[in-house]
Amino acid sequence: MFPGIKIDLHMHTSVSDGSDTPREIVDRVKEANIDVFSVTDHDATEACRIVRDLLKKGDPHFICGAEFSCKDKLGQYHILAYHYDPDAQPIEDLVEKGHRLRMKKVTARLDFVQNEFGFVFPKEEIEALLALDNPGKPHIGNLMVKYGYAENKEVAIRNYIDKLHFSDEYIKPEEAIESVLRGGGIPVLAHPFFGNGDQLVIGKEMEDRLKRLMDFGLMGVEAFYSGFTPKLTKEMLDFADRFGLLITAGSDYHGENKLVRLGETGYKNSTSFPSGLLKFLEACGL
Amino acid sequence: MTIELVGRIDSNNAAQFEKEVEERIGKAPGEPIVLDAADLNYISSAGLRVILHLKKINNDLKLINVNSDVYEILDMTGFTEMMPVEKAYRVVSVEGCEEIGRGANGTIYRIDHDNVVKVYNNADALSDIKHEREVAKLALILGIPTAISYDVVRVGNSYGSVFELLNARSFSKILADEPDKMDWCVKEYVGMLHKIHDTVVPAGKLPDMKETVLSWATALRDHLPREAGEKLLSLVNAVPHDDHMIHGDYHTKNLELQNDEVLIIDMDTLAVGNPIFELASIYNAFIGFSEMDHEVVKHFQGFDFEISKTFWHKALAAYLGTACETKIREVEDKARVIGYTRLIRRAIRRHEAQEMIDHWKEELIELLKETDTLLFDRNELDVIASAENLSEVQSFVEERLEAANCSPKVMMQIGVAVEEIFVNIANYAYAPEKGKATVRVEVSGDPLTVSITFIDHGTPYDPLAKNDPDVTLSAKERQIGGLGIFITKKFMDDVLYEYKDGQNILTLKKTV
Repeated sequence: MFPGIKIDLHMHTSVSDGSDTPREIVDRVKEANIDVFSVTDHDATEACRIVRDLLKKGDPHFICGAEFSCKDKLGQYHILAYHYDPDAQPIEDLVEKGHRLRMKKVTARLDFVQNEFGFVFPKEEIEALLALDNPGKPHIGNLMVKYGYAENKEVAIRNYIDKLHFSDEYIKPEEAIESVLRGGGIPVLAHPFFGNGDQLVIGKEMEDRLKRLMDFGLMGVEAFYSGFTPKLTKEMLDFADRFGLLITAGSDYHGENKLVRLGETGYKNSTSFPSGLLKFLEACGL
Repeated sequence: MTIELVGRIDSNNAAQFEKEVEERIGKAPGEPIVLDAADLNYISSAGLRVILHLKKINNDLKLINVNSDVYEILDMTGFTEMMPVEKAYRVVSVEGCEEIGRGANGTIYRIDHDNVVKVYNNADALSDIKHEREVAKLALILGIPTAISYDVVRVGNSYGSVFELLNARSFSKILADEPDKMDWCVKEYVGMLHKIHDTVVPAGKLPDMKETVLSWATALRDHLPREAGEKLLSLVNAVPHDDHMIHGDYHTKNLELQNDEVLIIDMDTLAVGNPIFELASIYNAFIGFSEMDHEVVKHFQGFDFEISKTFWHKALAAYLGTACETKIREVEDKARVIGYTRLIRRAIRRHEAQEMIDHWKEELIELLKETDTLLFDRNELDVIASAENLSEVQSFVEERLEAANCSPKVMMQIGVAVEEIFVNIANYAYAPEKGKATVRVEVSGDPLTVSITFIDHGTPYDPLAKNDPDVTLSAKERQIGGLGIFITKKFMDDVLYEYKDGQNILTLKKTV
């Protein structure tokens, strides 16, 4: 059954910074004729619980997912978690820590724009924002636009929100990888060449990064990714081959918030089915 | 549609940039997209995603004026493989620079001690530059010493390609400054020309000069008396396809002496075809263009028309490997047929003086009356002196003997002599290395005399200095060797040896 199937293992819902609710995203996945999918909100597992309960027999196959933002002195990473038990304590602790750090940051930022620039928002807006599972810079930016403090979200972030520098606490990659493993999941490096999503990690640096993360227990790489050129994908497939890593394919769909379309992973049905991808799907119980 | 990319494109503004671009594309769907990156300093992966996305929306997308930092990112990430990405070009001024060469498509200036730039006449020359770079590379692979451009620059409103040409002097400059070097220049010039014309080009790699000449002849048909026009066409048509290389613009400004090495530059006219087409363009360069106004060559090459004429004559003689004026004149006339065809067509196109056109027309019509074929024979063959080339040498000699109606006995005797001498050169002249030998065949005079000359640059060796073997001794008593040259001497009327200019020159003569 595998060679012809359509896969997208990387997408965001409104639980984090996507624009589709978990319910909407299930409809979109069906419309796009995707056979196997995973929802990977930033530092959140809530959408997985919702989606899992929405699915019926004959619906697309669903894999529990999440994307953890990590950092250490060598750089920034997004670690994808797949096929874990959302109720396992290590996962809950990780989500909790991620959430706590995010809330701490968002509160600091809200205070900052208010104190430095005098941007104030109605109380109910702030409450709604803090009630989100994972509010971040884009949400504050949107509020600033809504209340006329900035022309658009990008300007809001660049000219105001990003002026705050603070030595933040963060989740280290080894911490995320270990928690995912202990929670029964598969840790996979998201968009490997792009670091936290907007960097470029190439060549020897990429190789060193992979080796380091593998020492922590990394099991796979997102070699098929919407932002990769065929050349980058081929390089990552070669790395996976050399290091015996599993392979995943993801679009990083954010709904209206980004330009990528669901199912756009760079992986085509016609290409030969890489054994790393096959092994990943098997490890997820397919 | 040209979209300018400015400053940085990263996660802070990628979405906004995307939105703007999509709006513009929406207004003109399907129109090719040119992203002008002249003012783009940095692009992050968020920016790359946008470009990737645009490429999906419209496949006809290209990036221009990309600076080297951004180019490196695009190259590492595989974007240069997915879409045309043109680098930003360094701007170079040629004001006050020495002009060292000039060809059909551009002018070459020295920009500093080590570098020259060829500025193209055509403002949209990028494809010309690419073509020239490719053919120059091909020539180099095929063994023709040339310079390959390493950079493309902006010169005013044109493009230029930059070559490294260390301390080089063109042959035109040498001839103008030191006329006593004429013979050396002729020798090197002809040596390179032989090398080019002896180079076989893989099919389809270079344009066929015959096509071009046919188009000239066709264009001229209506401007000539019917008979002359038809004859011109049929003469060109009768030239068989030839897959040997011709340079197409082979004059002394395009030949450079760099340290002790001779280089041919200006390769954009490289083609394949019969060498008569090359001789025609050489004739024009040294004589044709200046026939009506001798100042033309002075202005272009820097030397007088008299020097130009002498150079052409000596070069043609050396090229053909003959001192026979009749033969030289005969080939020159064939070259003039094509040369004038081109001059007339060019003059008509440029609306030049009718007087000039009429003069060349008259000359051409006269020449056509006396020309039955454009084909000619070079009397010389350059080969690597090795035993496996013997049969090539033999058939080269035989063809010329057959043309002179030699008797089978004379042919056999000459054949034996040629084998003895050539094998000798192959075995000893350059041992243990390999080197070149030139074989020249001339048939002339009354009574008809065949003269075969062997030239090599190897160890000086006079085969005639040795005593003849004593053939009265029995086989056992004889010394090994020397028999070959003995037989040669016996069969030929005359065998001459001289060592001159570092060359062994051995000449066999026989009256047939």
